[in-house]
Formats: sequence, C-alpha cells, structure tokens
Amino acid sequence: MGRTVGIDLGTTNSLVAWWDPAVGRPECITGPYGSTLCPSVVSLDADGTIVVGEPARRRLLTQPERTIYSVKRLMGRGLEDVQEELKLFPFRIDAGSKQVIRVRLGEREFTPPEISSFILRELKSWAENFFGEAVDRAVITVPAYFNDAQRQATRDAGRLAGLEVLRLVNEPTAAALAYGLHKSQRGLVAVYDLGGGTFDISVLKLISTGEGDIYQVLSTNGDTHLGGDDIDNAMLAAARREIEAREGVKLEGHPEAVQELRKALVAAKHALSADEKAAVTVALPGGAAYAEEWTRAELEEVLAPIFERTMGPVKQALADAHQKPQAMEEVVMVGGATRTPLVRRRVEEYFGRAPHTELNPDEVVALGAAVQADILESGVKNMLLLDVTPLSLGIETMGGVVAHIIPRNSTIPASAQDTFTNSADNQTGIVIHVVQGERELASDCRSLARFTLHMPPMPAGGARVEVKFLIDASGILQVEARDMRTGKMQTVEVQPSYGLNDTEIERMLEESIEYAEQDFATRQAIEARNEAESILAATEKGLAGEAAGALSAAERAAIGAAMAELREVKGGEDYKLIRARIDALNQATAGLAEAMMNQVLHATVEGKKLSEV
Amino acid sequence: MNRAEQGGASPAVAETAAQCWKCGKAGGDGHFCAACGAIQRLPRGTDHFQFFGLPRKLWMAMEELERRYHQLSWKLHPDNFARGTEEEQEMSLERGSQLNDAYRVLREPVARVEYLLALEGMRKEGTTKQQAPPELLEEVFELNESLDELRSSREGNQHAAEMTALRRRLEEAARAFEEKLAEVDEQLMAAAREWDATVDAGDAAAGRAALGKMNEILNRRSYIRNLVRGVNEELAK
Repeated sequence: MGRTVGIDLGTTNSLVAWWDPAVGRPECITGPYGSTLCPSVVSLDADGTIVVGEPARRRLLTQPERTIYSVKRLMGRGLEDVQEELKLFPFRIDAGSKQVIRVRLGEREFTPPEISSFILRELKSWAENFFGEAVDRAVITVPAYFNDAQRQATRDAGRLAGLEVLRLVNEPTAAALAYGLHKSQRGLVAVYDLGGGTFDISVLKLISTGEGDIYQVLSTNGDTHLGGDDIDNAMLAAARREIEAREGVKLEGHPEAVQELRKALVAAKHALSADEKAAVTVALPGGAAYAEEWTRAELEEVLAPIFERTMGPVKQALADAHQKPQAMEEVVMVGGATRTPLVRRRVEEYFGRAPHTELNPDEVVALGAAVQADILESGVKNMLLLDVTPLSLGIETMGGVVAHIIPRNSTIPASAQDTFTNSADNQTGIVIHVVQGERELASDCRSLARFTLHMPPMPAGGARVEVKFLIDASGILQVEARDMRTGKMQTVEVQPSYGLNDTEIERMLEESIEYAEQDFATRQAIEARNEAESILAATEKGLAGEAAGALSAAERAAIGAAMAELREVKGGEDYKLIRARIDALNQATAGLAEAMMNQVLHATVEGKKLSEV
Repeated sequence: MNRAEQGGASPAVAETAAQCWKCGKAGGDGHFCAACGAIQRLPRGTDHFQFFGLPRKLWMAMEELERRYHQLSWKLHPDNFARGTEEEQEMSLERGSQLNDAYRVLREPVARVEYLLALEGMRKEGTTKQQAPPELLEEVFELNESLDELRSSREGNQHAAEMTALRRRLEEAARAFEEKLAEVDEQLMAAAREWDATVDAGDAAAGRAALGKMNEILNRRSYIRNLVRGVNEELAK
C-alpha cells in the first residue's frame, strides 16, 4: 500500500500536500519547477504526449489549439450548461457531446474528468518523486457548492488517475481545518473562498468536546462559476473593446494574441494587489500594439460587480445559519482572488472584523486536505469535520413538482426514505427521477439521475417498495431499494444524468493504461537514444586512440558494422531494437574496451614504484 | 409517480443489540458491542427517539441532546472506519446518517412534533391546510382584500400617500398574524405536554386525542405561516 496525500484540484492551480509527522503539520510538495502550484493546464503534444502544468501553460501561447485551462468549469456539466462559458473560454467542444462534454485537444478528444485526471497524475508523480514511494490514495477537495454530478466527475478523475479517493472535502471546510491547527478559536467562523473559478461561503461552529474539536458546518452557499477567471475575462473584454475602438483591430481568429493579452492582464492584476499602477504592453496582429497603464482604481471598477455577486450567497448562508455577519468571531480568506485589496476591504467592512490571511490563500485548501487525509489514514484524530450538503435533494412527483426529501445544509452523511407503490394493476416498474436544487419544479432543478424501481405484479396500490436515498460523507448520492413485502433488497442501476457511467470509466481506465504504456515506450525510446549517442561517441574516441592499435582488421570491421547498424535505428521509436543494437556494439567493442583498460592500467602502473602497485 | 401515503406505526424494533455480528456476545448500547467494541448494524425501522435512547416524548433537554449528538458523531462518523472493512463502513454510513437525520428532526420543536405524528400515523395534511381556520376567517378575508388592492394599485397610478397607507395596513396585519403564530406555538407546546403526560400515564386513548389536537394545530400553523410569508413577499416587491 502506498502513501496518501491531500489534493486541491483547482480551476487555475492545483496542489498536493501531505501530513509531515516530523513537524506535526501539513506541507505542500514542491514540483519540478520550484513551485507548489501546478497550473491546471493540459496540453497534447503532436507526438501524443500529455503535457501538464508549467510547460503546458507556456503552450497556451504557442499551441492554444492543443491546450486547455480552467477545465474545472466543465466538470459534471452537459453541453447546454456551458453555453455561457463558451462565450468566454476558448473551449473546443465536440458538438455531439451530450451528457458528457468532449473537449478537443489537437487531434484527440477528452472528457473533463480525463483532463482532470492528467493533472492529478502529475501531482501524484510530484508526490511520488518526493517520497520515493508510490502514492495510491487521496483526499481531494471540491467547491462546497459543487452538486452531485460535479462531485462524481471529480471522483471519476481520481479513479482515472489511479487514485483511490478516500473522501471529497469541501474547500472552505478544508481551509478551516488548516487554520484550526494554528490557533484554538472557539465559536463561529465564516470562510470566504474566492478561487480561480468558484466561490464558496461556509459558516462553521467550532465546538470543544472531551474527545477533541468538532468543526460543524452550519451552512454553505456559493456559485460554482464565479472566480478570478471572471476578473480576467472582464479585464480582457475591456482591453479588447479599447483595442477595437482605438486600433480598429479585432482579435477574433487570433487565439495566440488573445492568450498573450490575457497573460499580460493577469500579470497586471497580480501586480495591482501591491502597486497602484501596472503597465501592460502587448504586440497586436498587424503591427499595432496595446500599451496601457492599468490603475488599481480601474481594476476595482471591473472587480466591484464580481465582488457584489459573492454577496448574495454570503447573505443566504448567514440566513440559513440563523446568524448575523457581526456574530462571526473569525473570518477566514481563501483563494488567490482574496489577495485583491478591494475584496479584503469589503469583506472586512461587511463582517466588521479583519479577516485571517496568515496562511497562503493558494495553499490553505491543500493543507486542509492533507489534515483530513491524515485523519482517515492514521485513525488517530483530535478533530472531526461535520460537513453539510449544499443543495436540497428531491424527487420528481406528479406534475413535475419536486418533493424535497433532504433539505440543503443537512449534515452529511444524511438519508431519507420514501415508499412507492404501483398505480396500475400489474405495473412492474416505476421510473424515479432524482434532482438537486431549491426550486419547486423538477425542470428548474439539476437532474441527477434516473432509475427504475422494480415491482412485483400486484393490483394497483398493492406493491410497496421502500427507497433509501443516502448522501455519503463526500456529498455523493447512493440509492437503495427494498421490497417491503419480501424484505428483499434490489439493485438499483442509477443512470447519472450528467457524467460517466461505470462502463465508460472502465473503458477510459483501460485506455489510460494503454497510454501509460505508450508514455512509457516514449520515455524508453528517449533514454535508449541518449545511451546510443554516448556509446557511439565513446567508441569513436576509442578507435581514434592508441589502444585501437591492438585491434585486428576483423575486429575493426565488426565494430564499424555494429556502429552503422546502431546509427541506422537510433532515430526511431523502437526502444527494444535500439537496445539490441547497443548490446551488439558493446559486444563488438569488448576487445577494444579491454585494450583501453589495459592501457590505462599500464599507464598508471608505469608512473608508480613497484611497491605502490 | 406514485409515492405511497406515509403512515402506520413502523414496527418498533428494540434498540438493544441481540447478538454482536463479530463476537457473538450480547449487550451494549445498541451502537457498539459491549464485549468487542464493534459497530453494530442498524436494525430496520429504528426510529429517531430509539436511536438516541429516548422515550417517545416531546419535551427534551436540548443541551443534553446536543452533547449526546456530538458524542455519537465522534464515534459513528465514517472517518472512524476509513480503514475498516466494507461492512463496517456500511454500518457507520447507516448509523452516521441516521444520527444526523435524527438530530436534525429532534432539535427543532415543530419538526419533532411532525415526526412524532408521522410515526404514530397521525399526520394528516391537505384537508385543512388550504382553508382558513374558522376563527380567523374574517381577518383573512380583510387581509386578502388589502393584498388585492396593493396588487391592482401597483398596475394603476395610485397616489403615493394611499400606497403608503395601504402598505402600513398590510404590515400591521402581517404583524398581527405573526402574533397569532406565537399563540399557536404556545398551544402546540401545551398539547405536547399533554402527550408526554399520556405517555407517562400509559393512557393510549388520551394520547390519540393529544396527537389529533397537535395535527390540527400544525395545519393551522402552516396556514398562518404561508399567509405571513405571502404578505411579506408582496411587500418586498
């Protein structure tokens, strides 16, 4: 069994952390580029290799058609859900996508869970390099306001990355866990989490008990499509309007230029958290240039409406917790977008209290995930997290009206039971439609799943099947059904309305293993090629040296032939063939190597007195 | 879709564990085996009162309930069984979810009454829900008139002063109904005490009467609540 880690699978950046028992706190693991942040960017190389993180981010500029960012926005969503997204993000989505979106990267198509799994694989390899051991289990964080389909998609991504997902933890709650280690506050805490693409607000109560601290979430709310990305998009839109008005240049059809501009604006946004002004200079197609100085005031003008959008969920969460903003004893800030002075100022004004910003807002969620991973892994705990389900669970009844059976903000795990009967004689099945959301009509809620309940043939009203709906500790729905007459359980085949079914996941797992093999082959070919280069160079050097004088003509010819044969194949992909020819050359040069060895030895001995040998 | 009418007392299952599935010994608090400490399967039909080891009574010491909830959370939460067998994980999910469900219902006095009525097969909705309770008929009639006036005045070009007066009248009416709601809640608590007394006395017939009374009060309560909500929504427009 390998190691367990905590992973923050973010919209913009992803991180992996572990619990370091030596220091008694969680730590983020640094990747090969010297940062703990792995940009959530995936690119498909022309040779089929998947590139993730920093190198993929660079390809956003050079190969935008083969590269994707912010894929988290597509997790667990259908084609009709993402129409707004498509106006703002350069996602190339297959028009035939139905329940699961397919995104095109170069010549291949991937589902969002597959793309996310590449990011998870990358983080897994960071951790494996760090530990020098395999990593096979993880706690992964999700926005608190993620619905069932989005959670399932995240769990599927974990599975596809070869990770057993021990638990999905809500991001704001994870942040509270990470903070809880540093201080021992009691009472009410609000966590304001404005990340790259999602916004969450959670209200928690910290309770001290004889056994340890309980982190009880009272309520949660949010918007799964609101975050730093939106600030970038608003800045980009403003800049494009200006470019069009002043230079008459339209950037449609120039994805490279748009990415270049976006990158420069994001850099300016970051700079404006500390500075009052930031210069943005980008060359435009056709020789013109965008050279502007952004002021903090200008950024705040763009930012203010985005901040306002966070206030609706904040007020709802407080109302659901039956609390006033002033009652919060601590306010915790999470997510890169909370670095902007405007957000800090306005949050402080609203709660009447300076928010906590001691922990790095980019890392705090991953750190909390590592804490939860340790709780699950070690079995030793001094804290317990009681989280809630963000959305009410309901079933569609007559006339499309929803009967809510588990209210939002119920502590999870939670369950509800309902009994169903046949409405016609000998009716043998009923289709149950499960939805999530607060609206009265099923068509206004999020469709989660459909399944068929099997009934024994009976007169109308005679059959009785009891269904148990259960939301587990990860916030994911499970369904059980039992015939009340026989007491027999029946298997319920839940067809998710959005997302992958088991067969699709199995197929993808097989494919991913195939690709893993392909990746392996590519790596082997590169290594064999390098080795071929160095042995060829060494042989040439040997042949030019003194020792070569000891070789017979036949030996010389054999070496020459082996070298030619290796040169012939070394550029190819068949690493086994390259290795075979390397071995052949090694054999052919055995005599030469021996002669060289002798010569070296001879030279060494010659320079020394006999007694020293 | 056919949801079967809920009702009929569910078969009460004794909460005391018969025999531990793991060590075969008997005894324990129902949640865990006294001998080996293994978590026990949740018997079907265990109700929320039984789950907490409480009598089927409505008065509860809330602090004690919360303390017990935290204590059981600590022991039953799936976190504790992440390294356990699949069976233990399933049992912890069953018990852990009922713990949360039970606490959610029992900590709210009205939800607690509704739950008890459902358990006793006495919750009957619909018949009186849509109708004004007779003693409120007149006030409800007036309120509806004012509401209509407000709606139609919004379309027409009503005088600002008249609008303000109308709004004030509605706000007052809403306040009056909110006071009624407090009265109703008191009636409900009185009936709840009656029920508890019948449980102590073992008087089943008087118990049925108390339940019937609570059902009626609940229907009146939800009628008034909807009324107040409707007025507030209209005023917020």
